[in-house]
Amino acid sequence: MKNSISLKSLLPAFYFAIGIAIVGGIWELIAHLTKNEIPNPSTTWITFKEVIQQPMQDDADIKGIGTKLLSSLKRVGIGFGIGSLIAIPLGIIMGSSKTIMAILNPIVQILRPVSPLAWFPLGLAMFKDSPAASVFMIFICSLWPTVINTSFGVSAIPQDHKNVGKAFGFSKWKYFIKIMLPYSLPHILTGLRLSIGIAWMVIVAGEMLSGGIGLGYFVWEEGFNGGSVAKIIVAIIIIGVVGLILDKIFMQLQKKFSYAA
Amino acid sequence: MNTAILTEEIVETVPFFNTSKVDQLATNSIEINNVTVSFKTPKGIYTAVKDISLTVKKGEIVSLIGHSGCGKSTLMGTISGMVKPSNGTVMVNHSLVTKPGPDRGIVFQNYSLLPWFTVYKNIYEVVDAAIKNKTNKEKKELVEKNLKMVNLWEHKDKLPGQLSGGMKQRVAIARAFAINPSILLLDEPFGALDALTKSTMHVELLKLWNLDNREKTIIMVTHDIEEAIFLSDRVVVMNNGPAATIKEIVDIPLARPRNKKHIIHDPAYMTIHDKLLNLLIDKFSIDDIPTI
Repeated sequence: MKNSISLKSLLPAFYFAIGIAIVGGIWELIAHLTKNEIPNPSTTWITFKEVIQQPMQDDADIKGIGTKLLSSLKRVGIGFGIGSLIAIPLGIIMGSSKTIMAILNPIVQILRPVSPLAWFPLGLAMFKDSPAASVFMIFICSLWPTVINTSFGVSAIPQDHKNVGKAFGFSKWKYFIKIMLPYSLPHILTGLRLSIGIAWMVIVAGEMLSGGIGLGYFVWEEGFNGGSVAKIIVAIIIIGVVGLILDKIFMQLQKKFSYAA
Repeated sequence: MNTAILTEEIVETVPFFNTSKVDQLATNSIEINNVTVSFKTPKGIYTAVKDISLTVKKGEIVSLIGHSGCGKSTLMGTISGMVKPSNGTVMVNHSLVTKPGPDRGIVFQNYSLLPWFTVYKNIYEVVDAAIKNKTNKEKKELVEKNLKMVNLWEHKDKLPGQLSGGMKQRVAIARAFAINPSILLLDEPFGALDALTKSTMHVELLKLWNLDNREKTIIMVTHDIEEAIFLSDRVVVMNNGPAATIKEIVDIPLARPRNKKHIIHDPAYMTIHDKLLNLLIDKFSIDDIPTI
């Protein structure tokens, strides 16, 4: 009995290993076909070990990969943080008033599909500073999913829940804290999860444009300009893993605040 | 729920200790005067109920019965203050109803518990909102008393999602009782429950009403004839909507406390049951359905 449980818990790891093996095989094949123009996994592994040496090094001319990662995370954190602080209240206001929804929704729908890169020059013109412009880009792009999901959550509060507040004389504040927020929290968290995903995707493009210290610039400068495809691949893997971790954090939050009806 | 317990508990056992019932009946609890309720719909104005007048005395249990969509919930909404009459007035305890108030406790059709709060919190938040002049400690005592009354104290830390339908409805009833309203408004309170749980809940409701000296006025919307007879002093039969009116008000002069098992053999019960059936249903066998 005990044995079967531990086997079961190992199953996902087993499947993961199979997935890695398949990707590794294809990767090896591509490396072979391109005559190692694309480095094979073992060459990349050597580069990876080089890259992660002294990760937190923070000298004037040499920065460790960890320092670069933190720098990128900081930009994402600032842009996403400010974006969320504006997006959540905005979503709540849109969700609670049909009129405000009618006024703002078309604007949101027009701005939402705009490519993140298009915002970069606008940020540059505003702040005259390229790292600030990439934070601005992240700020704008992490607004929309949170605004849309929050407003959806707030506007979808079931009549049953509203009736409770009405029938038992809840004050506006009590209704907000005890009914509106708890009901829309899972929706808000869904919005935040989508937003952080986009923000993390956008930072790489932003840093390629803005330069400075960060993973995006690392891909461009040391990878492409430095002629090391292995470094590009290493960076891609690091970006992917960090993105996955960010997503998992928000998924855990979603789980924590969801409830059975 | 096992059946042995059910047959034991189905007897309404609390003695009839209230002797001042006659005095209480002298005071009107609810007065509905020529109430019409119309709604604006995309297809024009829809009148749900038209020119309804009804007076309910303090401590009375009155059922509103009728087919689906006959406006009985709408009529009840005018008493609770959730629905504004387009015409006419509703007086509750001699003051005009303009909005919901703590003198009326509502039990909704689908329990309407807040799923993110525990059973305890669901009642506490409502007590906290509706009762202004009590300390936190007194509010907590009220919650405890009412949860114990419906035998849910040991389930106080559960979320509504972890409860059965019957338990959820008990929480909803405890919530309505907790603000100690003089009027209880029950909107098809047992409609979603299975027949066995429903029977138990009827007796439990009457027990709570008894414990409170039968002073609370209860208005209940239902489409269950047996339920209406067992619980009520009067049954208001509504015509089919739109523009529904009162078809007839049937008195239920059966002595209290009533016993689920015995009452159905009472000739008076059978007469009332037949009468209500005739008022509500016009097809009793396949012969009553016209052939095409």
